[in-house]
Amino acid sequence: MADGLLSGFRALDLTDEKGFIVGKILATLGVETIKIEPPAGDPSRNIHPFCQDTSDPEKSLYWFAFNTDKRSITLNLESSQGKDLFRRLVKTADFVLESFPAGYMTSLGLGYEKLSQLNPRIIMTSITPFGQKGLYSNYKGCELIVSAMGGVLENTGDPDRPPVKEALDSCYFHANVAAALGAITAHYYREISGEGQQIDISIQEVTASRRTMGLIGWEFDRRLLKRSGPMNQFGRQSFRWIWPCKDGYVYWQLFGGKHGASANKALSQWIGEEGLKNPLGEITDWQEFDMSTMTSEKLNTWETAISQFFLNHTKTEIAEEGKKRGINSCVANNSSDILEHAQLKARGYWQELEHYGLDFSPIYPRHFFLSTETENFVKRRAPLAGEDNDVVYGEELGMSTSEISALKVSNVI
Amino acid sequence: MLDLGWAVVGGLSGKYLGDHGAQVVRVESATRPDLVRATQYVSISRANNLDDKPWFNHLNTSKYSLAINLKHTQARSVLERLIRWADVVLENYTPGTMSKMGYDYEYMRKIKPDIIMVSGSAYGQTGPFACQWGVDGTGSACSGRLDLTGWPDRCPINPSNTTYGDSVLGMINPLVVIAALDYKHRTGKGQYIDASMLDVSVHQITPALLDWQINGRLQTRTGNRIPDASPHGVFPCIGDDQWCAIAVFTDKEWESFCRVIGNPTWTKQERFATLSLRKENEDELEELTAEWTKNHPAEEVMSLMQTAGVSAGVVQNVQDLIERDPQLKEREFLVPLKHPVLGVICHPTPPYKLLKTEAKVRTAPCLGEHTEYVCTELLNMSDEEFIELLQQGVFQ
Repeated sequence: MADGLLSGFRALDLTDEKGFIVGKILATLGVETIKIEPPAGDPSRNIHPFCQDTSDPEKSLYWFAFNTDKRSITLNLESSQGKDLFRRLVKTADFVLESFPAGYMTSLGLGYEKLSQLNPRIIMTSITPFGQKGLYSNYKGCELIVSAMGGVLENTGDPDRPPVKEALDSCYFHANVAAALGAITAHYYREISGEGQQIDISIQEVTASRRTMGLIGWEFDRRLLKRSGPMNQFGRQSFRWIWPCKDGYVYWQLFGGKHGASANKALSQWIGEEGLKNPLGEITDWQEFDMSTMTSEKLNTWETAISQFFLNHTKTEIAEEGKKRGINSCVANNSSDILEHAQLKARGYWQELEHYGLDFSPIYPRHFFLSTETENFVKRRAPLAGEDNDVVYGEELGMSTSEISALKVSNVI
Repeated sequence: MLDLGWAVVGGLSGKYLGDHGAQVVRVESATRPDLVRATQYVSISRANNLDDKPWFNHLNTSKYSLAINLKHTQARSVLERLIRWADVVLENYTPGTMSKMGYDYEYMRKIKPDIIMVSGSAYGQTGPFACQWGVDGTGSACSGRLDLTGWPDRCPINPSNTTYGDSVLGMINPLVVIAALDYKHRTGKGQYIDASMLDVSVHQITPALLDWQINGRLQTRTGNRIPDASPHGVFPCIGDDQWCAIAVFTDKEWESFCRVIGNPTWTKQERFATLSLRKENEDELEELTAEWTKNHPAEEVMSLMQTAGVSAGVVQNVQDLIERDPQLKEREFLVPLKHPVLGVICHPTPPYKLLKTEAKVRTAPCLGEHTEYVCTELLNMSDEEFIELLQQGVFQ
């Protein structure tokens, strides 16, 4: 089997749910990623949902999802023996990934300065809600809180209700991709210079970095673009972009000029063919169509006509016929639709992973990207807590069975 | 890097590399300008000017701009030299476009055998949807994110003017570029990378995919509620459209929360005693919480809760991000950069801080601003040849 882009490197992964995905990305790229959990197991193993709805730290589907291809050892970092073992492991590692509250690692004597004395090449990636320093660095945060403080929550929701969060842990995911980008950037520099460093990720800041369009609205025009439900605010004109259909919802966005011409024309033609009232039919030259010249009354009549049209059709009809006609829409897929999606199947996107206690192997997304030269694939289910203790402590660190047992008894591992 | 990217993903992908020191040559043309160079989102921007779009600037810092009309017969020789010069080529045209122009990976590899080429797209370079049009909203709908965002009794929604898939793919692309460069240094081999917004975005909802397969539960929108915390919501505060988000996970946090709001008698009731009971009676719990928050400024709610060890955060708008938030200031989230047309504007710095090798962000280029520099300094073209090509209209 071909290597991943980063095969041959090693990461020690101390993260909870705020930082799972950076290690998952590195592991998918071939980095040997060792999860280090407290002796009782990572508390994040208790996040819903659970396999067969059984609350069991070895059955969290959330944990399964984002810890693929990692190995697991248990280690008590607060004990002196535990610290020594961790220091030994740091000497063998290329990356340390952590998401403890700011300052916690330093309080254990395991901060970046100390670790870099043991291994100057080490890259320490620290993920926290607000960053390592500053007034809010000790504030607690979770997905909802960083979305609020990062300025995205304010922009999401119906005007007549409170702002509403995005799907699952969107901000965590983005911040972890940013953390992986930072870690790999630092890795490249380390391979040239021999020097590691610490990377400081604030999930709030990564979230705020998405708001560039809003920032310019305030900076140039002192204008705040408010949350507007299923309407979009890209630009000066607001128009609906999410539409109910017969059995669900679809995304279809009106673009002016060259960019939207062929799709607008195709949709208008389809509406017309069905004998519906079609105000879009007035437009003769879609290449020259400019949304900013439309009155809001006119846009309202368009919205009514398009709404009626989509309501007459099912998701499947819109997906299949729409693709043929090139109307540039996309249905709002649910989990069932995604698993059946022809595009993902055709790209070999799914990987079965065997699990203990399950009579079938669920499928997982297999790749983040494809390459002609390297294989960067999800290959192995998430580990049980301490599943690799014997291999890592025994075979690698050369400890005897009785030494390992003693560590277990004294709650070091 | 030879940057043939455009729009949001193309802009960001090269930007992050440039911000951290790569030489990024953005190839563009007034004959087919970047979408974002045409957007008129703010009043300073004009239809007939390609250099007055601040959003373009945010997405394209630290790049050189080479103006070249790829359809011109003399363009190919310049592009060949750029390929020879580059370590990496990045593009995100509709799949098939590069091949049609004769600039696919095979062509690049003939010129430079160890070239790294990255193609970004909505659906990927292969498969029945490869050539389908797609933008940020497409990625959201297709990947399942859209169906999971919003209220259970309402139409699903996206953030109104904020990208997601574009922003994420715009970081995956440079991440892969750097990892591939490292691989090349170790093995001497280049490669072709096919990265799509769909492939990346679906990962984010993996827990829901497993829930469906294993438990037969088709997850849908839940507003602000999650199974592991209660209250977990966004509550009204003093002022117009002012809100504070609060999240209470553990029993200890619940006790602290009750203390902050003055231990009113309802908090002692059996129906709120455990997380599962709070989940059962969440409608009421949220109403009672709002009764308290609505008499306090959002800032005060956050500060009281945080001091007591409860997760809470003001729902900040962009004005807050720019002018108020002390934490973002401390982190230099924004840096002011001077642009010849737009003047001084604030730019987000890369939001991952490398503490030893900080990003150095330069303002985005005007179209063709570095054409002469790139040709004569980076490609070692003679002045005579440059002027000849210029006169023939290659650099438009």
